[in-house]
Formats: sequence, C-alpha cells, structure tokens
Amino acid sequence: MRRFMIRAFFLVVTIAIGVGFVVGAGVLLAQPAPAVQVAEVRGTVQTPQGELPHAFLKLESYPDSMQGFHGPDGGAHPDWVTFGPQTALQVPAHSLVTITVLQHDGGEVITNDYFAKVHGTVDGVAQLNGEPFTQIPPDTVGHTWTLHGIPSPDQDQVFVSVPLQAANEEVVGENGYPVPNEVTFSFYTGDPGLYYWNCEFPCGDGTYANFGGAMSAEGYMAGTFTVL
Amino acid sequence: MTDTAVHQTEDPPAPEPPGWKRPEVRSIALIWLVLTIVGECLVWIPSWLMGPSASTQMDDIKQTMTLFTAMSAPVAAVIWAIMIYSVARWRYTGDEPPEDDAPDFRTNSPVVLLWSILSGVLTLVVFIWGMLKIAAIPAAGGLAALPAGAMPPMVVEVTGNQWVWNFTYPELGNIQSDVLYLPLDRTTLFDVTSADVIHSFWIVEMGVKVDATPGQLTKTDVVPHSIGSFDVRCAELCGLLHAAMETQAKVVTQEEFDAWAQDKGAEVPIEPAAQEEGGA
Amino acid sequence: MRRLNIITAIVFGLIGTIAAHYLATIIFVMPVLEGDAEAPSGLVWLLENRIAFTTMFGWVVGFMIGIGAFSGPVRWVLGKDLTDEEALFLAGKDQGIGRYFRFTTDHKVVGIQYLVITMVLLGVGGTLAMLIRTNLMTPDSAFLGPTTYNTLVGMHGIIMIVATIIMITGPFGNFILPIMIGARDMAFPRLNALSFWLIASVVPVLLSVPFIGGMPTGWTAYNPLADQAPIGMDGFAFTIIVFAISSAVAGANITTTAVKMRTRGMTWTRTPIFVFGVVASVGLAIPAFPTFMAAQVLSGLDRGVGTTFYDASGGGSGWLYANLFWLMGHPEVYVILIPALAALLELTPVFTRRPLFSFKAAVVAISGIVGLSILVWAHHMYISGWAPKLGGPFMLTTEIISIPTGLLFLVFIGTMWRGRIWTRLPMMAVYAMLWNFVIGGITGVYLSDIPADEAMHGSMFVTAHFHYTLMGAALTGTMGALVYWFPKMTGRMFDERLGKWGFWIAQVGFNVTFLGMFMVGFAGQPRRVFNYSEVFATGNFISTMGAYTIGIGMLIFMYVVISSWSRGAIASSNPWKAKTLEWQVPTPVPLENFDVLPIITSDPYGYGRPSPDLAATDQAPKEGASL
Repeated sequence: MRRFMIRAFFLVVTIAIGVGFVVGAGVLLAQPAPAVQVAEVRGTVQTPQGELPHAFLKLESYPDSMQGFHGPDGGAHPDWVTFGPQTALQVPAHSLVTITVLQHDGGEVITNDYFAKVHGTVDGVAQLNGEPFTQIPPDTVGHTWTLHGIPSPDQDQVFVSVPLQAANEEVVGENGYPVPNEVTFSFYTGDPGLYYWNCEFPCGDGTYANFGGAMSAEGYMAGTFTVL
Repeated sequence: MTDTAVHQTEDPPAPEPPGWKRPEVRSIALIWLVLTIVGECLVWIPSWLMGPSASTQMDDIKQTMTLFTAMSAPVAAVIWAIMIYSVARWRYTGDEPPEDDAPDFRTNSPVVLLWSILSGVLTLVVFIWGMLKIAAIPAAGGLAALPAGAMPPMVVEVTGNQWVWNFTYPELGNIQSDVLYLPLDRTTLFDVTSADVIHSFWIVEMGVKVDATPGQLTKTDVVPHSIGSFDVRCAELCGLLHAAMETQAKVVTQEEFDAWAQDKGAEVPIEPAAQEEGGA
Repeated sequence: MRRLNIITAIVFGLIGTIAAHYLATIIFVMPVLEGDAEAPSGLVWLLENRIAFTTMFGWVVGFMIGIGAFSGPVRWVLGKDLTDEEALFLAGKDQGIGRYFRFTTDHKVVGIQYLVITMVLLGVGGTLAMLIRTNLMTPDSAFLGPTTYNTLVGMHGIIMIVATIIMITGPFGNFILPIMIGARDMAFPRLNALSFWLIASVVPVLLSVPFIGGMPTGWTAYNPLADQAPIGMDGFAFTIIVFAISSAVAGANITTTAVKMRTRGMTWTRTPIFVFGVVASVGLAIPAFPTFMAAQVLSGLDRGVGTTFYDASGGGSGWLYANLFWLMGHPEVYVILIPALAALLELTPVFTRRPLFSFKAAVVAISGIVGLSILVWAHHMYISGWAPKLGGPFMLTTEIISIPTGLLFLVFIGTMWRGRIWTRLPMMAVYAMLWNFVIGGITGVYLSDIPADEAMHGSMFVTAHFHYTLMGAALTGTMGALVYWFPKMTGRMFDERLGKWGFWIAQVGFNVTFLGMFMVGFAGQPRRVFNYSEVFATGNFISTMGAYTIGIGMLIFMYVVISSWSRGAIASSNPWKAKTLEWQVPTPVPLENFDVLPIITSDPYGYGRPSPDLAATDQAPKEGASL
C-alpha cells in the first residue's frame, strides 16, 4: 500500500511537471493580448439603413517603427514599416465606421492593381486630402488598408480595401517623416464578429514578393478588427 | 464491390481445407457480418458531413466518398473480425510465457494468393473508378468537355493575393470583385494565378480546387447547379492570415448575374486630383 | 580525446558560433559599408541570411570538434592512428554513465542516446501539439496569434518528422539490430557515433527557430513562401541539411552492417524480419533525403545569395521545390512506418508463440512498398496544376501500394490466427496498430483517388489521415517495441500494470482527436489555420479534448518509462522466451556482445516445434568463434 502511494505520488508529480511544461511553453509562446484601439462614437448619423451610431478611428502608417506603439527605441524591429497607434481595432456593431489614415510612407508599383482601387466603402469612394476617389494610379500606392474575414452563417462576408496614396518623401514634416496624405473612408458594420485587416502593398522583407518581415507579423502591417 | 469482399471472408486465412466449414471461420464470418452491417449503416456520414453540393462534380465527389466508404467497411471488418476473434478465443494471460506453443504452420499459400488477388481487384476497382471520374475533375484531369450546343464558357480570372482572393471577369469589361458571382447552370472557366506565393483556390461546395501558383496559369472549370452562397477558401498555407483568406461564391440566376455585372460595370472610376504628390 | 565530452562540445560550439558570427559580419558586411551608398534593403535581407547560415555552421562545426568527431580522422591524417586501447576507450569501456555523454562508438550506447533524444523530441513536439490544439479549441481564440501559431505548426511538424524518422532505426536499429544479426558492433562504429552527434548538434538549432523569428510556413516550407520567412527559416534549412548528412551516414552504416556482418549461417531467409524493416527504412532514406537537402540548399541560395531557383519572376518555379520536397516526402512516410511495423512483426510471433505467418510475403510486401514509394510523390500535387496528365499514372502507383500493405495486414492477422496470444503490452500495441492503421490505410485510399482528393486535399482530413498512419501505426508500434526491448536495453522490466493505463488512455484520446478532425475535414476546414469558421466548432472542440487525453496518457507512459528504467524489477536475459539472438546474450549486454559468435541454422521463428537444433544460442559450436 505504501509503495502504491509513493508511486501514485510520483505519477502525479510527473503529470504535473508535464502539464507545467506545456503551460510554461504556452506562457512563453502565447501572444500577449495587444492593446486595443476602440473607435470613438460621436453621435449618430442618418443613413439609408436608418439611424446608426457613427464611429471614428484614426490610423497612421509610418516608414519605420520609431513612432506608434513599438516604444521609443522602435521595439524589436526599428526599421520595419508599421501602422499605428495600434493594430488591434474595435468598432461597434451596426454602425457607420469612418477611418482616417495618415499615410507617412512613400511607395512604388503595387503587384496587383486591384488594390489600387477602392472596394467596399460607402458609395465605393474614399477621400484623399478631401478629394473623393475610387482608384489611384497603381505606381503611387504607399500601402493599403484591406479588411476581410472568415464568412460563416454567424459572420457576414466583409471586404473593404482602400489604397493609401504614397506620401512625397521629399517633403519632410515636423516629426521627421514625410508630410502625410490623409485618406478617409466609411463603411457599415453588421453583426458582431472578428475580422482581420492587412496591407496589400508588398513592403516587407524577402527577395520575392516582399511579404516577409513587417508584412507577415501581427502588430505591424496587419491586425485584428473586432466588431462588438 | 461488396460482393467481392464477401468472398474475402468466406476464405479467411484458414490453415487447412475445408476452411469455411470450421467453427472459428463461421464465428468470424458472423463477427464480420455484424461489423460490415454496422459499417454499411454509417456510409452516409461522409457525404452528410460534406454538406450540400453545388455542382455536378461535387455530386461525383460525394458519390465517390460514399462508394469508397461502402467498399471499405467489409475490408476493415475482415481484419478487425479476425483480430477480435483471435484475441477473444486464443488469449492467454499470465506473467510467464505460455508453456505450450501454438501450431507451427508457417504460411498458407492459397490464402496469401487469394488475399493478394482480392486486394488487387479492389485496387483495380478503385483505380478504374478514379479514371472514369477524373474527366469530371478538371483540375487534375484536364477540362471537362462541353456538351454540344452549350453556351461558351464564361472566363473568370482568379488571383490569389496574400490573403485576399480577387476575381476579374475579362469578358464583362474586366469588372472585378471580392465575391465570386456565378450564373446558374453556365460553365465557368477559371484561370487561376497568384500575385505572390502558392495558394489553393477552393470552392468547397463545388468540389473545385486548384493551386494558384505565381508565374503560372492553372485552369479548372465548374457548372454550378444550385443557387446560394458557398465558401471560397485557401487550401495551401500561404503565410500570416492564411486562415482568413476566405470569401464567398454566390450563385445567382443569369438575369441577376447580368444585373450585377451591369451594376459593377457602371461604376465610373474617379482618380484623385493631387497626382503630383505620389511617387517615391 | 579523453577529455572531450558534451560540455566541451557546447563550449566549442559557442566559441564557433561567436567566431563565425563575427567572421561573417566582417566578410559580408564590411565590403558593403566601405561602399558609399546606403545598402539597399534587399541586400540587407540577403546579408542577414548569410550571417545566420554562417553562424549556425560555426555552432555545428565547433560542437563536432568539441565532442571529438574529428579526432580520429585528424590523428589518422597525422599518421598517429588510434591505438587499440584508445579504440576501446572510444567504445566506452569501463566508463559508467559518462560514456553516454561522449563520442562513444559502442552501438548500444548510441542506441540509448538515440532513445533519449527521440523521447525529448517527442516530448517537445507533443507539447507544441497541445498548444496548437489549445489554440483551436474554440473559434476566434487569441491564445497564440497567427505569427506564433504558424511557426508552431511548422515546428510541431518537423520535430515530429525528425523524431519519428529516428524513433525505430535510431534506438532499436542501433542497439538491437547488431546483436540480432550476431555482430559485435556496427560496420562503421565511428560513423555511428557521428550520425548521432550530428543530430544532437543540430537539435538546438532547430529548437531555436521560434526564437529567431520563426518559420511560419509549415514543415513543408514551400517556396516562394519560405523566401519571405524570417531567419528562423535558415535554421530549418540548416537543420535539414545536417539531418540529411546524418541520415545518409546512418543509412550507409546500418545497411552495410546488415548486409555484411550477419553471423555465419544467417542467410537472408533466416534473418529476422525487423532487420529487413530497418534496412528498408534507412535504405529508402538514402535516395530520399538528398533531394530534401538539395531543396533546402537551393532555398538557402535564394535567401542568402539572391538566386531565383523558386522565384517565378527570375525564371524559377515553386513547382521545382514542391517536386524536390515530395520526392523526399513520400518515401519519408515509409521511412517512418516500415521499421515500426517491422518491429511489431518481430514481436508478434513471440507473443503468439507461433512462427511469423508467411515470412516471405512480409519480405515481398516490405520490398514492394519500398519500390513503389519512390514512384508516388506527385499524388501530393494532384491539384497543383503541375502535370494534370500524370494524375492517372500516379493514382495507379499510389493505389498499388495498398496491395503490399494489405499483405502486411495478412501477415499480422495470420500470425495471430490460432496463436497462443499472450496479452502483454507489446502485443496490445499490435491490436491498437491494427485498428488505427486500417483507418489510416483506408483514408489513404480515399486521398489517392483524384475525385476524393479534389475535395479533401489541403483539408483537416489529410491531417487526420496521416496522424492515423504516423501516430496510430508508427508511434504505437514504437511504444510496443520500446516495451518489448526495454528489458534488454535497460536491464529492467517495464511496469506494464500502469503502462497499460497510459497506453490505452493515449489510444482512446488519439481516436477521439482524429475522428473529430475527420469530421471537420469532411466539412471543409482547411489545414494549418489558426482560426476557422464557427461551423467547425464542435469537431474542433472534440479534437482538443481528445488531444488532452493523449497528453495525459503519454505522460503516464513517460512516467512508467522513467520509473521502470530507474527502479523497475531486474530483468532476466530472456523474459519473453524469444528466439532471436539479442535475447540469448546476457543482460546487461557486454561490450562486443558475444564471447563466441553464434552459428545460425534456422530462422528465429521456430515456435511450436521441439527445437534443439533450430534456435541459435550463445552455446553455439565453437567453430563459429572467429570473425
């Protein structure tokens, strides 16, 4: 009996160590919950879909990581391009969302000119420095803000993609970055769900397609979009 | 096919003739029969799990799954029946090895031969079935032949981008969409390529799947036969947001499709005035 | 040489790492800095990869110097070859536990080293599996996040592939096989140690991958996706290159041993079936892994030098990578599966007290699988669009494999037929394997047939299928083999009473996990996704619960391995009353195994007949004593 108890004890200890190892690895590798940028609701707006709350988000895209939330020293990859101030976004369900992006980064030719066009916004247009547009020349794209998800019976198909016109890199503003282009667009949200957004302009690492580095890391050129 | 498998059990690896009269063979045949019946009662499950079908090739695929499951049940049952019976009947428990050994027969050539021939026949059946159905599976066997007098196929250019699909309709003034609109009962030809890495274009309920490879144009086609919304997914790991590289295929009537295409085509592009700011 | 061990290896390895890193920085970066212009970002990328490769190379070379892998060749070149005394030292004579931490040539030491590293890798791979399943327990989980998730999927894959490739041929192929054929050691004992220490040196590189950026590509590391991956990808490519060298060395060694060093009288028909299985496995690895290595060398060149082997815009093709990869990838599953099945074939007669049913059919089946397995690789590419016209031929070769595989099933159930089935844990592994492998095999037939593959390719169905074969059959077989040979390798009995619990809990959990995965696979859930549509929630939850059950079962099993190894009952030299040669030598097995080499007059399956003249023993006639 005593021998049995000892064995049972060590068995439990082994299992505990094993589970502890898994938990430890989980803690080591788990993604810390990112800070969420919640859209600011300013009143309601009359739309063809009725009166909806109007939510606003302001984003910026930087040519490196010295700004935004990666810390004053630029975090692990100071030279990576990044969106900011946060990449985990949250907006209210059944509302009109207006996003303003300050594009500080330059750009080049985009691989697929589909993404030089505006998709999925209200009336299919966006505003560049106050001017409406539905597409920009494919060789002047800085980044894009492209939203999509996993459609299911419980989650709508959502697709919004807006090209962000490259800033003129020769005109430098106060913060040392080029003077930004301001792109504004609006779209409606439906039921609650979890969506993802990313940039479709190949601005990361790699000898091919340049979708590595910042493009393939959450918290830089991609993030979540929670409709709550 | 079930018939072939029946023969298989009537001659399990019995060491001495007349094998099929021995009591253990009869018991095994009974266990086999029970397992087979249970298995055959479950053959509808794969097809049911695969959900609704939206094209004839998906019908073929579901039929294939059901047929293979029906064929598999007796085959699996042979092995499991003999195993279950052997373990139940001839089991020995003890801390020391049994004193008496089992009979020392080393092989049974007729059984080995019969087993090989039967598995050969089953293989052949599966292969012939595959070759017959391959014509309906455009990605792997070439495109399906069009019936005489059918409308020419509509071409859709599919581009996989990290992590978004987009669709271009070259015959409709190059209109573009994030959702795949397809007219009902019309052959659609997909020209699939990729802007970056390898993706795999998959319309789940239509049984359409072909890789999107950079620098290559792969082709497949489909005739959607049901109205509704279906899932378009990416079936090849393509980086960060592979899981979210999903959209929908909407099958609508030809009239609705034409209206949609006209609507899309009517969108007049507006380019921003401040062009000179661009470029780097 | 006498002072070298794993500590010196790590020290030298670290020195090599630092030296190579600085050297690479000087050689590659200085010329760029001397130029006036700022380096273009593409060049920075190439330089990072070059430095990463060189640094890893420095680690492995330093480690191998430190462990003493080059001492022998260097001494030979200098004309001071090892003395007999030194050779005996190298074999680990009179060294106690320390010999397990050195460049020891004794095949039994190498076998134990392989066993330990296999268990460590399986433990790490299993831990990652738990994390993956935890992330997939519910939809929209934010536990790991896509970056980490994708890396862990690839890490789980490659760690398990490496572990399962070595799990039979490493521990048992090295420890058991030479004794089984009546040899005193392997044909090339130093190569044997080299093959192990190459793997040991590169395991830290592999495990560092998640911490140097990861490899969010899956273990297939398809190009051009791999071209975008961080320098973790270099760690993967480097690991594969070293692993391929190791497996080539081990393959040449084991094959030569089995062909040339069987004791007198051991004709091929008297050679145990396990030997055939191991030779088939390592022999198959010899043509298979070089293509994988080549694939990774080209990938490294694309990443570090800027060539365009896989870059469509430079005339390359992702299909080139896919072909090179699967030329290895399909033989590789049989490299894993065959020796595990052969180990079970070896122990089945012992526990049914019957000769192996149709030994020749088993040999034919193994040879058939080996031959066919190098002709089926493109069934992984049916829907790639690479060669639609080859769909039919590859479908045929793939489906023909079911004939030799079916023969193996016949051999198993034929051996059980009218046997005296002694239900010990190794025999239970045979039952479990027969259950799992039937499911794995049949679902393989689905996937081999193009109409079904059209729907199932790239879905969770595939994941479930190959886990049924590689885990349900191969890993289950290895657990049986471990229990079977445990008394000989450790000198102690395996505690089966508790071991059975661990084993069966893991088996039940396994079936729950992968039946859940079949469900979502049929329904159309893609593989390797960090998130999924809510329609798949039920199946994924079932899968995760099953996975935790496997985890508990495996931990119990691991506890039994450790406790039995340290405090189990002392084993007699032949507790199973088996007839193969390894059970006829004393336990613990002496250095050089046999005082007098045996002479063989029959195969080792002579159960069920009076057998004074059949089983070879160490009391064999003296005239066989020279070699």
